Amino acid sequence: MDAITVNQLSKTFRVKVKEKGLKGSLKSIFQPEYKSIQAVKDISFQVKEGEILAFIGPNGAGKSTTIKMLTGILYPEQGEAMVMGINPALKRKQLSYQIGTVFGQKEQLWMHLTPYDNFKFFGTIYDLKDHEVEARIEELKQVFELEEFINTPVRNLSLGQRIRCEIVASLIHRPKVLFLDEPTIGLDPVVKENIRALIKKMNREYKTTIFLTSHDVGDIEKLCKRIIIVNHGRIVLDDSMENLKYHYLKKKVVELKLRDAVDLSDEDGITVLKSKGNNVKLEIDTTKKDISDALKLIDADNILDINISNIPLENIITEIYKENRQTLMKGSDTP
Amino acid sequence: MRKYLFICKATLMESLQYVMNIALGFISFFMMVFVFINLWNYIYSDPSKLISGYSRGQMIWYVILTEILWYGTRNRTLTVQISDDIKSGTIAYGLNKPYHYIVYIIAKHIGEIALKFVLFLGAGLVIGLIFVGPIRDFSPLRLPLILLSLLLGILINSFIRMAISVLSFWIEDCFPFHWIYDKLLILVGIMFPVEVFPQWAQPIIRCSPIYVVSYGPAKLVIDYNYSTALEILLAQLIYLAVSFILLMLFYQKGVKRVNVNGG
Amino acid sequence: MLTEVKNQLHVILLSVKYNIMREMTNRVTFLMNVSFMMLNNAAFIIQWMLLFRLKSDIGGYGLNDVMVLWGLSAGTFGLAHVFFHRAFSLPDLIIHGKLDSFLVQPKSVLLSVITSATSSSAIGDIIYGYMILTIFNFSFSNLLLFTLFIILGALILTAYAVIVGSLSFWILRSEMLSENLNNIMVNFQTYPDGIFKNVIRFLLYTLVPVGFVVYQPLKIILHFNLMACLGVLAFTIGICLLAFFVFYRGLRRYTSSSLMSARI
Repeated sequence: MDAITVNQLSKTFRVKVKEKGLKGSLKSIFQPEYKSIQAVKDISFQVKEGEILAFIGPNGAGKSTTIKMLTGILYPEQGEAMVMGINPALKRKQLSYQIGTVFGQKEQLWMHLTPYDNFKFFGTIYDLKDHEVEARIEELKQVFELEEFINTPVRNLSLGQRIRCEIVASLIHRPKVLFLDEPTIGLDPVVKENIRALIKKMNREYKTTIFLTSHDVGDIEKLCKRIIIVNHGRIVLDDSMENLKYHYLKKKVVELKLRDAVDLSDEDGITVLKSKGNNVKLEIDTTKKDISDALKLIDADNILDINISNIPLENIITEIYKENRQTLMKGSDTP
Repeated sequence: MRKYLFICKATLMESLQYVMNIALGFISFFMMVFVFINLWNYIYSDPSKLISGYSRGQMIWYVILTEILWYGTRNRTLTVQISDDIKSGTIAYGLNKPYHYIVYIIAKHIGEIALKFVLFLGAGLVIGLIFVGPIRDFSPLRLPLILLSLLLGILINSFIRMAISVLSFWIEDCFPFHWIYDKLLILVGIMFPVEVFPQWAQPIIRCSPIYVVSYGPAKLVIDYNYSTALEILLAQLIYLAVSFILLMLFYQKGVKRVNVNGG
Repeated sequence: MLTEVKNQLHVILLSVKYNIMREMTNRVTFLMNVSFMMLNNAAFIIQWMLLFRLKSDIGGYGLNDVMVLWGLSAGTFGLAHVFFHRAFSLPDLIIHGKLDSFLVQPKSVLLSVITSATSSSAIGDIIYGYMILTIFNFSFSNLLLFTLFIILGALILTAYAVIVGSLSFWILRSEMLSENLNNIMVNFQTYPDGIFKNVIRFLLYTLVPVGFVVYQPLKIILHFNLMACLGVLAFTIGICLLAFFVFYRGLRRYTSSSLMSARI
């Protein structure tokens, strides 16, 4: 069964346009001009139950707008979304029992209360009985290793501990789908790793569907089997992580340290990324030229050091953003 | 002096952006004045009656003028900003800058309130003319003296507020002191002229700064005579000197404290 | 349905309890806020003593009556701000997209939002209200009526704040306007309605419904009248329903700050 289905979802914002200076200010008071900005255009996709999906894109691509329409925060303008068979725009309350949300930059916890009291509060919000809440807190305390600080006021916790508590708070009511918006923002690498492990564990143990947005490639690479990339309000890629890598892994990066300089710029299937004296960085398209063929062009005695690697996911994603912009621009050129 | 003029001008230009906000601020001002118009209309059931020596028109004009001074010169720069600057240590950083912090704040304050004050003055005059009519026996020849007295009143008020804010060098929160000053100003200076108070209270009020900050300028507009004018201006000059010296004294002592403690 | 209401009430009370706990983390500041507000209100007794020296009745009331009016005003204001403080800063929440976390909870968005903060000085207002009633016009029945009317009045003040605050869903720069309208409510509350003439009196029962918050309640406390009581009650229910309607209508236009900050 699908946990989330999205059908041709669109959302437009009206933004006031203000001209500069006093005259502009006065004009915008009496005769405001508006400009429509389409944040999300005709987006459709499905997410299976138990899946971990990365929903990524550059700033202003429409990620947050989409996530907010799926959680019932924003009204969609057109199209329809269903989360666990419930339409967020029509049955917000009913939906909220099914979903959990963690917005990395916005805190929902009471700072002056302990995590324990906070969890109790959220339990009340979700109409849980006292003994239910306590059993649940006990369980989550074990899984998320909160013993140490469960009775310390939230304002005295470290950022990492706080995020952990935010996640636990959003799990009190056993949501079927969890929306994580930038869960690891601002955390140090060790804590990040910790949070990722917890998210994975949660997905495994509770079969929770996870909808994740992040700018952190590590989050995406380590957690997600599927990735959707949005840009300019549209989906530009919806594929499994494996396919994405396979598609782009056809290219290899070869770094060489040579005894004598060699000119390879005319070779088909080889792009020189960097060439500085005897240090060369090449990108080899393996569909056009095998690595072995490429290396044959250089005398083995000439090679002092060699390093062959895949293109990092970060670059792949950046490339997809750029490609998308080019095709968009091409599209608008033709009348 | 030129740099302070520049600060003043720059903030004035900036405040032009917020004309709309000032205009909306008129609503509160207008409501306050409106309530008092109704109140005095009710109390002066016989319009020709005099209360404490004032006619109905004079009494209402008094409130309009003092409310203009209140609404037109309120500014967070004198209260919140100074306290924040002291507590955050910004003042310590500013010490080696080529300007005097106190003069800088005064310039900024005047730039910020200039437009607001003129707009409130205009609005207040319009309201007064519509609801009460012109002030009796008003002569334009007195304008220079009245304007001088207004200016002095505004300056003294600023110095007092700043002196209170500068207390932040020593105390955590100087809000209670601002609050007490506010209440005194509203109850003793804005709502009623001194003459309305019981006989025993009047000499005390006449000696207080409220007399020169609020009552003085308004009195010159509604009920001018040569000897009160002299008395008020003299009192204002004394208070101007005293409040400025106190302000500077507090500031110097406070800054020294920062230097000793290293912020 | 009934359990739903019960659960909602439970959450509201818990929120208010936690809010007050938060305010009390710094006890000195808390006590100072409470006592300064009481002093603040008490300072205005001087104003009325002076006015009543000039004339023995103002707007048809004597000093004791005006004091009870003040007590009612302080009580309604205090109760509204202890329980529903956030209703008075609704424009800020709407414009800066701070409603998100309330929208993903299975409770009434409006009620969760407005109960999410409190004002400690408002506690001083409530105490002052009861002190004034005790000093100037105490009887057991007055105590009951006073309590009833500050509850209804607080609901009216809050509903009014929600309605004018919700304008921000439609008009971007209405923050100042709603703030001013709320101030007008408070300003008129402390003056007897007898000093105002016909048109204004009409406005005070419609556009700025101070009349139902304090004027009618004062009249009922002075001369009990069941019909007037029911009138206040009916108005309270009406304006509360309107507040819910307007807020939820506006909520559809909520943009969660997505592009609000964009300036072109």
